[in-house]
Amino acid sequence: MAPVLPLVLPLQPRIRLAQGLWLLSWLLVLAGGLILLCSGHLLVQLRHLGTFLAPSCQFPALPQAALVAGAVALGTGLVGVGASRASLNAALYPPWRGVLGPMLVAGTAGGGGLLVIALGLALALPGSLDEALEEGLGTALAHYKDTEVPGHCQAKRLVDELQLRYQCCGRHGYKDWFGVQWVSSRYLDPSDQDVVDRIQSNVEGLYLTDGVPFSCCNPHSPRPCLQNRLSDSYAHPLFDPRQPNQNLWAQGCHEVLLEHLQDLAGTLGSMLAVTFLLQALVLLGLRYLQTALEGLGGVIDGEGETQGYLFPGRLKDMLKTAWLQGGVACRPAPEEAPPGEAPPKEDLSEA
Amino acid sequence: MALLKVKFDQKKRVKLAQGLWLMNWFSVLAGIIIFSLGLFLKIELRKRSDVMNNSESHFVPNSLIGMGVLSCVFNSLAGKICYDALDPAKYARWKPWLKPYLAICVLFNIVLFLVALCCFLLRGSLENTLGQGLKNGMKYYRDTDTPGRCFMKKTIDMLQIEFKCCGNNGFRDWFEIQWISNRYLDFSSKEVKDRIKSNVDGRYLVDGVPFSCCNPSSPRPCIQYQITNNSAHYSYDHQTEELNLWVRGCRAALLSYYSSLMNSMGVVTLLIWLFEVTITIGLRYLQTSLDRVSNPEETESESEGWLLEKSVPETWKAFLESVKKLGKGNQVEAEGADAGQAPEAG
Repeated sequence: MAPVLPLVLPLQPRIRLAQGLWLLSWLLVLAGGLILLCSGHLLVQLRHLGTFLAPSCQFPALPQAALVAGAVALGTGLVGVGASRASLNAALYPPWRGVLGPMLVAGTAGGGGLLVIALGLALALPGSLDEALEEGLGTALAHYKDTEVPGHCQAKRLVDELQLRYQCCGRHGYKDWFGVQWVSSRYLDPSDQDVVDRIQSNVEGLYLTDGVPFSCCNPHSPRPCLQNRLSDSYAHPLFDPRQPNQNLWAQGCHEVLLEHLQDLAGTLGSMLAVTFLLQALVLLGLRYLQTALEGLGGVIDGEGETQGYLFPGRLKDMLKTAWLQGGVACRPAPEEAPPGEAPPKEDLSEA
Repeated sequence: MALLKVKFDQKKRVKLAQGLWLMNWFSVLAGIIIFSLGLFLKIELRKRSDVMNNSESHFVPNSLIGMGVLSCVFNSLAGKICYDALDPAKYARWKPWLKPYLAICVLFNIVLFLVALCCFLLRGSLENTLGQGLKNGMKYYRDTDTPGRCFMKKTIDMLQIEFKCCGNNGFRDWFEIQWISNRYLDFSSKEVKDRIKSNVDGRYLVDGVPFSCCNPSSPRPCIQYQITNNSAHYSYDHQTEELNLWVRGCRAALLSYYSSLMNSMGVVTLLIWLFEVTITIGLRYLQTSLDRVSNPEETESESEGWLLEKSVPETWKAFLESVKKLGKGNQVEAEGADAGQAPEAG
């Protein structure tokens, strides 16, 4: 059977390979650690922003998958460090001999598979963020007034804190607040004619005003915040039309949150790609080192040239060999006869 | 009678030197930590220097930075000394410098302890500067057109939002100053004219606060204007309403923030001080035990290490004597010169 992708490895190139592998393994450990930190950060952010994403959104699966993939990459890196260190030291190598094979299989299948899954999620999931944010923010804004309804009583505080922290107003702009009743009916005076008029003029009986909550106010504005009667240009004299955007935050929370989350997902995705590359290199290097040292019978300092390879033969040949070996193991009786015939023949020839 | 004598054989000495070498390198890390703590505090104080009248004392962060740098220098030197201590040839080079070096280390430890104490004690001066600075900041809130003060509104608004506070001691501080600029007042309105006329200084005072005082946890939309007028708002009683605005004053909020910061820095510095004292004691034992190795060739011999050669009162007396001798030394020389001249003359 001809080995697949053989590489002749005399002593010096073997040592170089081991040293380079040691460096790459530490880089892999670093990359794995960074992925753990980044996905942890994303998970914490999602915990705060969870109310603004629709419950059916699958986005939290991305940092969870990345967390596991990062941990496996970290483990692979540490194995690589240990193995490459051991391959330079004759006393340390023998315990690694038996373990390296299964570890390589686990690393390729498990680690590689996880990284591919995480990368796939990083590419596919951010697209679903748009709809999820649309739905989540819409629900949050609609429940702003429900400070006494169990299950939604935190909506006002969360929306206010979101607008203050991310410096945004409404979903796509401040006018979104004009279409939502954000003043709870409990604080509306039923004897006030203006209130009664507004409610009666609305089809659904909602109290809609052209005002916004205080959290939309922009501190950079030179004048105290104008929150009410924003559509009435005569309501606020001396309002400078050249600076319309300074009074309230100009951006909508949808755009701000989308950009923020997509940036985080993008960073995570690029780190996953780099880690995938590093892991592939480390696993390849380990495989070549392992097979080269097996060729020498596990003796590290052997001066002889050996070959490192990926697979001992082509896939078809390997499967055939495995099949035959399996078949032979199931036929014990006929095995006894041929060896039994051979020794008497030898005796005869000797005699 | 030596103070705290300990017997050291060769192995123990080697272990002591190795342990001290490791501890010194950890201590360099600790010095970097102190340096970064001081830098962080300095940056935090700078960030809010607008509301502190630009007159806040930077003594604590500056001394932390200085101590951090000194600690790194001294401890890396000590590490080098401990590394060389096991080699008699190299150690002979360091021998004459060790006593003064240890004296400097003791001084350094005393100063470090004082700096750690300062972290706990200097919040009083901060309180005064904060009170003054916030008062002025609120006064200049409306001067968004005056160059040099145009940023004050933004600073105070962001401060109140971030620290969840309102005014200097409470939200009523805003009732006493005019925080709405004249530029945005409609002087043709009767209400505005009445208010200004009724005020002695001609200021436009309202019982209202800026939007940044609003508390997001309130169940009702924020009531910013006519706060003390119950009839202006439906189902509202300003005496019992607690969630509408932030209750805490910004002076208390900022003070508590900086106090907790300086307290935690003080605790960390005290822990590092304890570590440094341990290192100095270890170094002293190493020095005395190596000095007492009678035969420099026979490094295997046992020797004794101690903290002080004689007991504390005797050491203090000897120290005073040596100081007096320094003073007398000049006199003796002068007398000797006179005596020498006198026989010559005579």
